[in-house]
Formats: sequence, structure tokens, C-alpha cells
Amino acid sequence: MRWLRVARSPLGLTATVLMVTLLALAAIGPLVWGSDADVVDTDQILAPPSAEHWAGTDNLGRDILLRVLVAARLSIVLALLATVLAVVTGALLGAAPFLLGKRSGRIVTAGVNIAVAFPGILLALFFAVVFGVGATGAVLAIGLAGAPSFARLTQTLVAEVEARDYVAAARTVGVGRFRILLRHVLPNIAEPLVVNATIGAGGALLSFAGLSFLGLGVQPPAYDWGRLLFDGIGTLYVNAAAALAPGAAVVLAGLAFNFFGESVAKGLGVPADARLRPLVRKKRVSTPGSDPDVVLDVRDLEVTLAGPAGPVRPVRGVTFQVRRGEAVGIVGESGSGKSMTALAVTKLIADHGQVDAARLEFLGDDLLGPRTAQQRRTLGTKLAMVFQDPMTAFNPTRRIGAQLAEVATHHQRLTRRDAMTRAVDRLGAVQIPDPTSRARLYPHEFSGGMRQRAMIGMGLMNAPALIVADEPTTALDVTVQQQVLDLLATIREQDGAALMLISHDVAVIGDVCDRVLVMYAGRIVEELPTGVKPLHPYTRALMDAVPDMATDLSLPLATIPGRPIDPADVPPGCAYAARCPLADDHCRTVDPPLAEHGTGHRVACWHAGEELP
Amino acid sequence: MSELRFEDVTVRYGKHTAVDGVSLTVPDGAVIGLVGESGSGKSTLARAAVGLAPLAGGRITLDGAPIPTRGRRPLQMVFQDPYSSLDPRMTIGATIAEAMPRGVDRRAGVAHLLEQVHLDPSTARSLPSRLSGGQRQRVALARALAADPRVIIADEITSALDVSVQGAVLNLVRELAGLSMLFISHNLAVVRYVASHVAVMRHGRLVEHGPTAQVLAAPGHDYTRELLAAVPGRRSKP
Amino acid sequence: MSATLTLRPLPTASPWVGFGVRRVGRLIVSLWVLVTASFAMIHLIPGDPVRGALGPTAPAELVEARREALGLNDPLVQQYLNYLKGLFTGDLGTSLTSRLPVSDVVAQRLPATLMLAVLAFVLAVLIAVPLGVAMGVLTRRGHGRRTEVAFTTTSTIVATVPDFLIGVALVYLFGIRFALFPIAGNDTPASYVLPVFSLAIGPAAILSRIVRVEMAAVLEADFVRTARAKRLPARTVYLGHALPNAVTGALTLGGLLLSAMVAGTVLVENVFAWPGLGSTIVQSILAKDYPVVQAIVLVYGVGVLVTNLVVDVILAVLDPRSTIREG
Repeated sequence: MRWLRVARSPLGLTATVLMVTLLALAAIGPLVWGSDADVVDTDQILAPPSAEHWAGTDNLGRDILLRVLVAARLSIVLALLATVLAVVTGALLGAAPFLLGKRSGRIVTAGVNIAVAFPGILLALFFAVVFGVGATGAVLAIGLAGAPSFARLTQTLVAEVEARDYVAAARTVGVGRFRILLRHVLPNIAEPLVVNATIGAGGALLSFAGLSFLGLGVQPPAYDWGRLLFDGIGTLYVNAAAALAPGAAVVLAGLAFNFFGESVAKGLGVPADARLRPLVRKKRVSTPGSDPDVVLDVRDLEVTLAGPAGPVRPVRGVTFQVRRGEAVGIVGESGSGKSMTALAVTKLIADHGQVDAARLEFLGDDLLGPRTAQQRRTLGTKLAMVFQDPMTAFNPTRRIGAQLAEVATHHQRLTRRDAMTRAVDRLGAVQIPDPTSRARLYPHEFSGGMRQRAMIGMGLMNAPALIVADEPTTALDVTVQQQVLDLLATIREQDGAALMLISHDVAVIGDVCDRVLVMYAGRIVEELPTGVKPLHPYTRALMDAVPDMATDLSLPLATIPGRPIDPADVPPGCAYAARCPLADDHCRTVDPPLAEHGTGHRVACWHAGEELP
Repeated sequence: MSELRFEDVTVRYGKHTAVDGVSLTVPDGAVIGLVGESGSGKSTLARAAVGLAPLAGGRITLDGAPIPTRGRRPLQMVFQDPYSSLDPRMTIGATIAEAMPRGVDRRAGVAHLLEQVHLDPSTARSLPSRLSGGQRQRVALARALAADPRVIIADEITSALDVSVQGAVLNLVRELAGLSMLFISHNLAVVRYVASHVAVMRHGRLVEHGPTAQVLAAPGHDYTRELLAAVPGRRSKP
Repeated sequence: MSATLTLRPLPTASPWVGFGVRRVGRLIVSLWVLVTASFAMIHLIPGDPVRGALGPTAPAELVEARREALGLNDPLVQQYLNYLKGLFTGDLGTSLTSRLPVSDVVAQRLPATLMLAVLAFVLAVLIAVPLGVAMGVLTRRGHGRRTEVAFTTTSTIVATVPDFLIGVALVYLFGIRFALFPIAGNDTPASYVLPVFSLAIGPAAILSRIVRVEMAAVLEADFVRTARAKRLPARTVYLGHALPNAVTGALTLGGLLLSAMVAGTVLVENVFAWPGLGSTIVQSILAKDYPVVQAIVLVYGVGVLVTNLVVDVILAVLDPRSTIREG
């Protein structure tokens, strides 16, 4: 099924047509032109291209073009034989460590690693010497020379599958190694192996041409493209077509295999995203003298991303404000749009999608307007970001200190030395012991908790007005998590920075924030001050579904049926209706607006606060 | 009776000692919660029990006898990552059937197990890609049950799940009462909910062990106190 | 609070020591395998190599005398030890055809090959890195779908054409149709142009593809988002943060490509009658002059190992983590 996708792209179609032509030529070439190609014509020796001989003749007056057509079969058969040899030998060597177990496996792996370091042509020459000059020797030489790279590929693929838990699970239920290899490993590595074998066949074809060109391959009277090329080059000055015609055949055939393999790989892989059409901007809400107390003002924010089946909208009309010094939490499950909201309001979605809003202002600065140097400076100095995974959020090839200092050299025009002093000072401020020497370390030399502190320290190179922290403690251990949260709280107290904390953990948000926004399927479904009883059925279920240290042990946990909404497939009406015990037909057709329910409490539900069955 | 006993178990990876002389018993029919932070050795201890990590010292016994390392093991494990624990090219039915002993009616067995983990029996014909994380984790539990184990080891089985589907898996664990289980988690609240006893690991060593209510109410070790203090939700829920 | 910090001790011993020991260890093992393979080559040939070299009409006494001179009548272990001893003293044996010491042949031919390979390296990298980086930036996620298709198609075509065919085409175009460059020998600087191009162009195409893919992947990395969050200018994000990481990734994958160029000289030299090791080894294989073949295979192998070592050292300098990785 998915293989059909191959033929859909123009390149895949071309490759498929070329492949079919090539194989047909190999099948019928010698039958149709076999005898004509051997006709010697002493009147026409080394003739240039003419109407009778399109590519001229060779030193016995034989027609070059016919010989090229006939040579297709031998060239392709030899290349395929060599590829089969390479793939079979390689796959056996590659799977050996899995079957042999650790110790003997390691020896095979080491041998393959050494062999793979030597280029194929060198190995082919080595084997050509051993097996002798001629077609058989060349098949063995090219096949064995290709084996190490297939062995390496198989090893990598097997190791990848072996590390998966389903293999461990099969082992513990008593499935033997050989059966695991057949049932679980092979089916999961077959596709990439086939793709690479196809590309490898193209490579073998070209290597054959190379060996024959050196005179080490097929010997007369037999001839393949390489042999014709070898003979043709001798007469390059007299009839260039005698060399160019077989050369073109080799290249075309090699390309056919290569493009076919690549199109298959592409067809089997992840489909590319469809193109995003530029969107029609919303009518902006005019901004007469914005409230100086508001740090971040977001109205009707929408984010659109490109997806394989058309545009996807993970954020669908989000409105909220963050005031000076306030801590606002955004809670939601994966796919709720909480991280997208954070990236959109900080202008970090960049190339991945489109952001639109009725208003998006940071410290009174319109972020939807054209990018200016002044806007970049404001964002660079007044907005701090903390990301989820501190391991990957730092550049692995640069020292921590330099990565912090860079902020100051760019935005504050400090000298390198002053910026470094500032960086060390900030590392100290986020309680990293011995900051002077640690500033000289690379990120991988820090522990996870320390990296996250350093990330916070980077945001403190200036005096930020807002810290946006996207799941800052999810990748950390519980005790370290608490330290990082405490650090954020301390900074808020000392510097008066506002905090926007994004988390899936209701308890974390409850500990740190003054106000909570609950997101579901790209919308805010409830906004409430911390400590107030929630009214939306989703918020209520979410809090009961997660056990805490006070959960009643005699009752089962509340469960939410179904699964979270896929942003690519949002139903009409209330997105939560399918999982909600209170939902009725009205809910399923009309999306409820976010409506006021007491001070600072907004709920988007037609049945807010009703008793759950 | 099925009693899993770790006696002075040590596991080393090169120079690094991942598990350092741990002695722990999972009594018949009890759920023991094993808590600790990443790198504490709790997962390594579990992998050692099912033969996925080599022992450098000590022994692991089931009802006094060493655990067989070939064929169907009386110990079954459920893994953390629901996206890695099911073969993407095998139907749910085949995955569960593979774990069942020879000579039983596999089709009926699979249907029964799927019902036991609250999945529709027709799920047997689908591939894992059609299922959510929580559903996959329930299939993984069904596979473990299919092998008719005497002890189940659950390694962080809810930590990769969305909060809204976690509850269903935890309820299922409680429904399996009567089966011995070693339940590994970094989340004290989750362990409190499912386990009768709790063991705390740190740096490869067992630092505290006792009935859950007692350990949580009156922790005896500084590290346990620190873990308890770090549990979020001390202030209040929103 | 600081009492409970999970501190990692400041590193005391340099990771370079461990890296050096492991890397040199691997080099020694590889060298041993290479030497043993080149020794074994002559013994793996079915039949009597000397009889094969001299032809079926050569008198039996001559064959016997030649075998004796080559030491082929000694016990195998003795031959192996003699071979090793010879290598350490720079004695590579004597050519069967020219009767010259093989070491002289190698010494005479090596510089031309080395020059060709090094120039081609430099050219390939000079083409591939800027092209790959530019393409990576132009075709990053959500951009330049058409540019991407055009680039990948062109580069696949260029990479598919083998170096010797590019050589033949260049000879035909610039040597015969428009006689711009010399097409044989290495007498003038201009005679380097065509061989160096033929050797470099294919690897340059592949390497630029690798660089593009790496660059595009790095631009999606978390730390590039961090760099954007710092609101650094685009140039700093691309060149300062993305480029070093893309190059390390590309070198890890493309290192083998560079060492393959060492061996690629064999074919290119034969197109351009280049007086290097590549043309000599082919003549020697056809003439069954095994001592010369053995020595040249060895020299090529060493060239490959040295290239790999250089690549690994460059990687270690660029990316401090790679000193920790398995060597």
C-alpha cells in the first residue's frame, strides 16, 4: 500500500519507469540484438556516429549502440549477484552478535568495525587480487567488499530494535533468540535493508564498471558496460561515442537504482507536511495606551501549523493577561496547546507555523508588528525562557559561561570580559557552587538540576519582567524539581519578575502560581485563582484522576474515558463533550464561550459546576 | 505461595555499581512499592530479577528456588514506555498470544485477558499504532498476565502517560489484588495508592523499608523525609 | 538547601587521556589487521603465485629459484615474522617484474598520489560545507520545498556518476573538444585541474547533502531555540550555534567519505595516466607483481587509517562530548 506512494512523486515515477525499462532491456536485449551486435564489418572500423551506426563502431566494425543494449543483461546480472552476496554476508555478520551473545558478538562487531573503515574500492582490489581477474573474481570481490557496510547497517538496525522493550518482553515470556530474530527483529528492519540493498545494487553496478574499466573485470569475448567503456576509452580520439555511450548507460542505470531506492525510502518514511497558505490577518484591536501594569497581553491567539493532511490548529483562540510580578500557571495534557501558546507569545514559533491574534503585546510592545531592533532588544533583555529538557537546551559544543555571556555582549554591548564576569555572577545567583570554574565547563559536565539553574541564570543576565518556564521540572528528579521551583519563587520575590509556568502537573502549578489557566484541545476551558473550587468537569476530573498524598485509598481513582483530542481532528461543539459525563446534544454542537463565574473565575462549559453523576 | 526474595543483590556496569547489596522480599500476594530517583538503581534491580541485567553478587529466588533463565519465566515485567513495549508490526492479539503457554485456547484466552484489562476484545485485531498510551499499557499488562506469572514487576508504568489516562491503569493494578507485584515509581503519591509496603532506594542502596502508611507517616531516614518534603501539592490544589 | 544539591565532581583527569589511549589502541589493532591481511593476500591466491606471474612456459628451475628468493618456501610463521621485520626496517621486498626494491617504487610514486588526494580533500570540503550550510538554511522546515527537490536531485545525479566517468567526460570536454587543460601526467599546475575535479566532485556532492541534512536537523534542535530565545541575530544563530554542531554531525557521517577518496585515486589516476600509486597497482595486478601490489595495498590502508584518525581528532576538538564516547 505505502509502496504505491513511491510512484506518486515525479521523481519516484521517473525512477520506476527507468527501473522497468532497465529490467526489460536486460531480459530481452541479448535475444533481440545478440547476434547483430557480434557482426564484424571490416569496412566500418572505428566509424564515427552515423545514421546507420548511431554511436559508431568499434575496432572490429561492430555497432556500439547494439553492444551497449546487449551488455545490459550481463552488467545488471553481475551487479545483482554481487549485491545478493554483499547483503547476505552482511546480514549474517550483522545479526551474528544478536544470536551469539555478548562475548563472541563483540569480536564480530570489532571485525566489522575495522573492515568498514576501509573503502570498498580498496577491499575490491584486495579481493580481485585474491580471486583473480575476470567476471567471477569481480563478483566475489565487489560482493565481499560491500559486505562490511551492510553488516554495519544490519548491526545498527538490530541494536535499535533490540533496545526496544518488546524484545525484552518477548524474552521474559520465553521466546528463544532465534525466534525473536525471525518474529520481532527481521520484520522491523526489513524495509530499511531492502531500500539500502536497492541503492547498493546501483553502487555495485558502478563498481563493476570501475573494475572492468581498470581491466580487472569481465574479459573478452564477454562484455559488460565497463568492458565497452574500457575499449572505448582507447579510441576516445577517434570515436568518443564509443566511450560516452556505455558511460551514459552505466550512469543511467546507477541513477535508476539510486532514485528508486530513495523514492521507496521516502514513500515509507513520514509524509511531508502540506504547504501552509499565508493567512488572512485578523482585525487588530486598537491599542490606546495599554495598561502599564500588564506585562503580557494576549487576545484571541491562534497558532496554525503545517500538517501532512493540511493545516492543524493546536491553539484556537486563547485570551489571557499576565500582570507585573504575578505567577500564572497553564496546565494541560499533551496536545492541549499549552507549549504552543508559550512559544507563540514569545515569538519562538518562527518557521514552523503562523501566529495570529487580535492583540499580542509584551510590555506595551506590539509583537505582531514588524520585527525591529528595539523589539528584539526588549525581548532579549526583559523576557527569560526556561525549557523542559536542560540537557538539549544548551549548545553542547560551547562552554556554559560563554553561552550566558553572549546575551550581555549582544544586548548590553558589554565587553567579553565584563560579560563573563556578569555570567559568573549570575551562575552564583542561581546557587551554582564555585561558579568561576563551573563557567568554564561544557553542558554535559553539569548535572540535570544544575543545567536547569544555569538556564534560569541565563534569563537573569538582565532584569527580566517575565519568565516563561515550559515544563521546567518534568525532566528532573523530585528533590531537584523542588529546588528549581524554590529558585523560581525566590527570583520572583527578589526581582519582581512575573512568571508564566507551563506544566502537566496540577500539584506543581498549585504550589507555585496565583492563577491557573486550564487548557484542553487548544482552548482555555477554565481560568481560576489557586485554591478556588473548579467548576469545569474536565478540571474536576483531572484533579481527581491524579493521586496525591491525601487521596482516599478505599475508592478507585476517577477516570476520564477516551483519549485526549488530536489537534488535527477537533470535533464541532465542546471538544471535551466526547469524554464528559454531563455532555448533551447542545454541548456536541455549540462550543461554550469562556464566561465569568465570580471574580477572576472564568469557565467554558454549558454545565459548569453541575453535580457529576 | 509466591515469594520473590532479593538477597544481598549487587549489579555492576563496568566500574559503576548500580545496585549495591540490596535485600528485599516481595511476599505472596503483596504489592511492594519501590521508590527512588533516577539512577537510584530501582529499575536495574527489576531488570536483574527478570534476567535482563547480570548479577555481580547475591541471589534472587522465587519461593526459595533460583529463577529459571530459560523458557517462560514465572516473573513478568511491564515497562515504562508504552510506545516501545509493543511490536509495531504485530497485532495486539498475536502479542498477547505469544506470551501464553502452549496448548491453551489462545483466541478465548486473548479475549478474556483483554476484558480483564477493560479493552474491547475486537482490539485483538488492531496494530499498536491504533491505541493510546494508556491502552497500550493495559495491553502490556495483559501480555504479562498471559504468561501466568507468579510475580509481576511494573517499572514506572504510568510515568509516560497523560494524567487523564493514568488513573485507569492504577485502578487496574489495584484490581489485580492477590498477585505479588513489585511496583516501581518515582512518584510517592502513586506508590501510596497501590502499594501495601514501600522500599526506598538511593545510590544503589535500600535506605528504608516498611508498611506504606508507617513509612509515609513517620519516615525513619533523612532521605525519605527529603523525598516526602519534595512532593508537590503541599500548599493547595487550584 | 545546598547540602542536598546533586553535585557532579569537577573533572580532574582530562578526558583526552582516555580518548587518546582508546584511539591509539584502535589504530594499532587496525594496523595489525591491515598488515596481516596484506601478508595473507599472497597466500590466499589459489595455485602458485610465482608460476602464475611467470607464466606456464617458464622453466621449473626459474620458478623454484624465484620462490626461494621471495622466501615462499619457508614455514608460514617464519615468512610472517620476516614480513613484519621487513616492514619495520623499510624493506618491502623486490618487484617481480622490474627487479627494483618495492620501497623505491612506493617512494617514487607516493608524492603524486598524496598531492592529488590532499588537493581533492580540500576542494571537496570547500565546496560541500558552504553549499550544505546555505542549502540547510534555505530549506529548513517550512521553507524552500522546490529548492530542496532541485538540490537533492542534482546532488544525487552528481554523486552517482563515478569519479572515473567524470574524468572521462572532462577529458573529452576540456581535453579534446576544447583543449584547455592537459589530460595526462602531472607536469604542470594546470594538469592538476581535471584530476582533482574528477576526484572531488562526487564526494563534494554527497558531503554537501550530509551537511544540509545535519544543518536542517540542528536548526530544529532545542539549543537553537534557546539561541533564538536569547534574541541573537540570525547570523550568530546559524554560524555561531548551528554550524559547529552541523559540521560535527556531518564529519561523523562523512569521515568515511574522505578516506574513500584516498582509494578513489586508483581509478582517477588511470584515467589521467597520473604517475602515482593508483596506476602502478593496476599495472602490477595485471602483471601479477605481487610484492608491489602488497605494498601499495598497505600504503593505501595506512592512508585510510590516518585519515580516519585525523577526522576523529578534529571531531574531538569540535565537540568535547566525543572524547567520552566509545573511541
